[in-house]
Amino acid sequence: MEKQHLGELEELILLLIVMLKDDAYGFAIRQAIKEQAGRVITIGAVHGTVNRLEKKGLIESSMSGATEIRGGRRKRIFTITASGKKALQASRDLKLNLWMQIPELAVGS
Amino acid sequence: MKNLERNKRPSLFSERLLGWCCKPEYLEEILGDLAEYRDELLSKPKWKRKLFYWFHVLQFIRPWALKRLQSNQQLNQLSMFSNYLKTSVRSLKKNALFSFINMIGLAISMSVAILMILVITELNSFDDFHENSERIYRVTSNKFMFNQELDMATASFFLGNEVKKQSPGVEEVVILKSGMSADIKTNAGLLNVSGFYATESFFDVFSFKLLQGNPETVFLEPNNIVLTETTAVKLFGGANPIGKELDIQSTGGWQTRSILGKVVGVVEDPPLNSHLEFEALVSMKTYDQPATGSGWRADFRTNPNHFQNSFVYLLLNQGADLESIETSMSDIISAYNSDQEHKLSHKLQHMSTFVSSDKYQNRVGPRFSQRQLYIMIGLTLIVLLSACFNYTNLSLARALRRSKEVGVRKVTGASQFQLFAQFIIEAILLSVLAFIIGLGLFYLIKPGFLNMPNPGSSGHDMFTLGINFTKLLYLIICTIGVGLVAGFLPAWFLSKLNANTVLKDASRVKLFGGLSLRRALTVFQFVLSIGLIMSAVLVNKQYKYALGYDLGFETENIINVKVKGDYGDQLEAEFNRVSEVAETSRSSMAMGTGGAELAWALTEDKSQKAMLFWNGIDEKYLNMHDFEIIAGTGFLRALKKGESNKQIIVNEHLLQTLNLGSPEEAIGKFIWVQGYVRDRLQITGVVKNFINTSLNAGQGDEIMANKNFAFVQGMPVFTHGLIAVKFKTNDLPGFVQKLESIYNGVDNSHPFEADFYKDQIAKTYESEKNIFTLVSFLAFLAISISMLGLLGMAVFTTESRLKEISIRKVLGADSRDLTLLLSRGFLMLIGLSALIAIPLSNYVVNEKVLSSFNYRAPTGIIDWLSGFLVVLFIGTLTIAWQIRQATTRAPSTLLRNE
Repeated sequence: MEKQHLGELEELILLLIVMLKDDAYGFAIRQAIKEQAGRVITIGAVHGTVNRLEKKGLIESSMSGATEIRGGRRKRIFTITASGKKALQASRDLKLNLWMQIPELAVGS
Repeated sequence: MKNLERNKRPSLFSERLLGWCCKPEYLEEILGDLAEYRDELLSKPKWKRKLFYWFHVLQFIRPWALKRLQSNQQLNQLSMFSNYLKTSVRSLKKNALFSFINMIGLAISMSVAILMILVITELNSFDDFHENSERIYRVTSNKFMFNQELDMATASFFLGNEVKKQSPGVEEVVILKSGMSADIKTNAGLLNVSGFYATESFFDVFSFKLLQGNPETVFLEPNNIVLTETTAVKLFGGANPIGKELDIQSTGGWQTRSILGKVVGVVEDPPLNSHLEFEALVSMKTYDQPATGSGWRADFRTNPNHFQNSFVYLLLNQGADLESIETSMSDIISAYNSDQEHKLSHKLQHMSTFVSSDKYQNRVGPRFSQRQLYIMIGLTLIVLLSACFNYTNLSLARALRRSKEVGVRKVTGASQFQLFAQFIIEAILLSVLAFIIGLGLFYLIKPGFLNMPNPGSSGHDMFTLGINFTKLLYLIICTIGVGLVAGFLPAWFLSKLNANTVLKDASRVKLFGGLSLRRALTVFQFVLSIGLIMSAVLVNKQYKYALGYDLGFETENIINVKVKGDYGDQLEAEFNRVSEVAETSRSSMAMGTGGAELAWALTEDKSQKAMLFWNGIDEKYLNMHDFEIIAGTGFLRALKKGESNKQIIVNEHLLQTLNLGSPEEAIGKFIWVQGYVRDRLQITGVVKNFINTSLNAGQGDEIMANKNFAFVQGMPVFTHGLIAVKFKTNDLPGFVQKLESIYNGVDNSHPFEADFYKDQIAKTYESEKNIFTLVSFLAFLAISISMLGLLGMAVFTTESRLKEISIRKVLGADSRDLTLLLSRGFLMLIGLSALIAIPLSNYVVNEKVLSSFNYRAPTGIIDWLSGFLVVLFIGTLTIAWQIRQATTRAPSTLLRNE
C-alpha cells in the first residue's frame, strides 16, 4: 500500500498526464502545470516525478514524436496504467470521504 | 532533415555536460525538453535566458539521472587501487617497528630534501618578475690583469652606448653605476641611502613597478631621484614625496658630491628575488656633474678603459643573434685593444645566471654559488638515497615473510604487474607519511637555514622558503619519486616470485642477489656516515687551526673602529682619553682578513717587477701589533697634514722576489711602486714574513697571497681607514659602549662599526664554518638514518634466528659466543665501510673542500678514525641491545612456542 501512496505533485502530474493524452511528455506537463495551477517548476522536477511514478508502475512510457524544435530528439510520452487510475481513484475517494466528515467546512465554503 | 541530424549531436556545453553525467536512457528526452525550453526562453533578455536555462540544466544533476559509478570500466582500477591502499595500511600497521624505522629515516631526509627543493625553485625564480627576463643580458668583460685572467660583471659606458647604436639586435640599453651611497639631511639627522645611478631607459628594461612618476621621464634631468616606497616613508612619512627636494651628500665610489636632489618618482621596493637591490635611484645625468675624489673621471662616458664600475644591461629583440652582437662588441673595442698588451673582450650573460655564476668579479647583488648549491644537492640526494636504502633493505630482508602472501595472491589471479603496483603503493604511502612528518621537521630547520650567514648574499635576504602551489607540486613529485626509488627493488623481487615454489616450501625461495645487494646498500650507508663524520671533524679542525694560527702579529685585545669621514685624528685623540685604552694606531685596513690593496713593485733600474700587496699605516701601527722588524726601523714620526713619506717597509718575500739581498743590505735601497701610490720609495725597514691576507686565499692566488707585502705611511684618499684600539679591560660591552658614544659625538650620520680583531679573522673563515655546520648536520642525519637501518636489520636477524640461538644455548653456547656470532657480520660491514670511507673523504676534504687553504692543519690518526669509531660505537650499542634481548630469554619458552 505504501507504494501506492501519491504525493501532491505526483497526483497533479498524474492527472495532467490523463488530461494531455497523447501529448503527455516532460516539457508539456511543465507547461500544463504552469497554465492550470499557476505553478512554475523546473523540467528536472517534472522528470524526477514522472520517473518515480513510472517506477511505482502508475504510468508507462514510449518514445515518439521528434520535432525540429527539439533538435530531432524524440519525446517520452506517458500514459496512465490501470494501477495509476486506481491510485487516483483511491486518492479522490479518500479526500471525498474526508470532506464528507467535515460538513461545517463544506458549508462554510 | 540534414539540419535535424546536425542538431542531434550535443553541441552546447550544457548538453555535453549532461551527456557526460546522465544515464543514456534519459538523455534524449532531457535534451529534447531543454531544447524546447530554450525556444520558449527566446523572448526573454539574454542574461535571464542564460540564468534560467542553466538553473534548469543543473536541476538534472540529481541521483535519479546520474550514471551509476560501478558501470564504468575505468573505475574498476579505482577499487583495485583502494584495495592496494587498504592492504598497504594493514601491512604497515602489522610491522609497526619497521614502518616506524623507515618512516623516521625518510622523514629526516625528506625535511632536507624539502629545503633543497625550495632553495632550488627560489634560485630559479630569481629575477623572473621582469617581464622581459628572457631577453635581458648583461655585458661582461674579460681581461688579463694582476697576473690573472679576470672575468668581470661590469663593462664600459662607452660600450653600452655604442652597442645600442651599432647592433640591430639590441632593443634597449640601460647602464647602472654603483657607488650611490648618499647621506640625506633630514630633520632627524642624516639618513644613509644606497642605490644606483641609472640611465633613462631603466624602466623600459626592468619591470620594477613605478608607483608614482612617469617611467619615461624620471631619469631625464640631472638630480632626479626615485625613492623606493620604504625610503619614501622613512623620509616623508605619509606625505606625498613627489617634487620634494633633498639635500644629499654622496660618498660612494671613491668620490664625493653634493646634490640638491628632486624626488620625481616612487618605485616599489625591489622584491627579495631581485639581483638588484636599492633604496634609491638617481639619474645618470647627476653623475655627469664633476665630483671630488679619485673615482670620478670626466671621460667615463667615452673611454672604453672604464670597464670596471658600470653595469651594462641589454634588452635584446626577440630572436636576436647573440654571436653577432658579441662580434659587434669586439668590433667596437678593436680600436682600444690595438694598443693594449692584453686584449679586453666582452661577452653576454643571460639574466638567469646572474645569481648562480661564480666567476665574475665586480658583481652586484646576492650570489648563491653554483658549487655550493651542487654540494648541497649532492649531499641531500645521498642522505635521501640512504633513507631509501633503509626501506629497500628492510623490505628485502622481510621478503621471505611476505612470500606466502605473494603466492596466495598469484594463485587467486593477481598478475605480476598488480603485485608490483601493490608493493610500490605501499612504499609510496610510507613516503607520503614521511613527507608529512618531514614537513614538520622542515619548519624546525628552516629558521636555522635562513639565519645561516651566506657570504655571497651581500647582506640581503635571498630566500623566503614559503610553500606555494608550484612548489607543493614539486614536493609531491619528489615524494612519489622517493617512494618509487625505495620500493622498486622489493616490489620487483616480490612480484617475480613463483607461486608454486613459494607455497610448496618457502624456505627454498632464493631471492637472487638479495643478500649481497643488501650488504652493498648497508655498506653504502656506513661509508656515508663514516665519511661525513670524518669530513666534519677535518673541516672543523682546519677552522680551529685557522683561527688559532699565529699570523705573525698581535691581534689580541684589539678592536678595529671604522672611520667614515675626515675626522680620524680627532676621533683617535678622543679615544686616547679613555682610561681603558692602552694604545691606538691607524691603518687603511685590517690585515689577515682576506683583503688587501694591489700594486706593482719594481727595482730601482726597473729591470724586475713583482705584484705587491700593501697597507697604509701610521707610525704606531707596527709596534702596537708586534710586527717583528728584522732590519732597519719602522716609521719614526707622525706625518704633518699633506706631507708624504718617501719611505717604505717591506717583508722578506719582496726582498727575495726582487733580489734585493739580505735584509741588512736592502735598507736604504730604492724601489718603484706603481699602484695607487706611484713613487720611488726608499726601504727603511724589513719585517719578518707574516700572513697578510688569509690562510684560505685560494690556490689560484698562491702566487700573490701572503707573499710580497709592504707598508707605506699615510692613508690613501679613498679610505678613511680604521683606528685600532688596544684595550686593557674585562668589561667589554661597557668599553664598546664607551667607544660608541664617543664615536657618535664625532660622527652622527654613520652607524658605529667596530669589530674585535679576533672576530674579524673568524669572519674570514665563515664559509668553512658554514661547511662545517652543514656537513655535521648532514652527518648527524646520515648516522641517524643508517643506525635506524642497522637497528632494523639487527632486530630482523636476531628474530629470524631465535630458534638457532635457543638451540645453541641448549647445547651449551654462552652469551659471549652468541654475541660474537650475531654481531660478526655487522662489524665486518662497518670495517669494510671504514676502509672505503676514510681514504675517500680524506681525498674529498683535502682536494675539494679545503683546497683554498694553503696552510693546513696537521691531521692525526684520531681524526682519521673519528668517523669509524663513532659509527662502530653506536652500531655496537644498537646491535648489543638487540642481541641481549635475544640471548637473555630462556630457550625453553622459545622452543616450546616453536
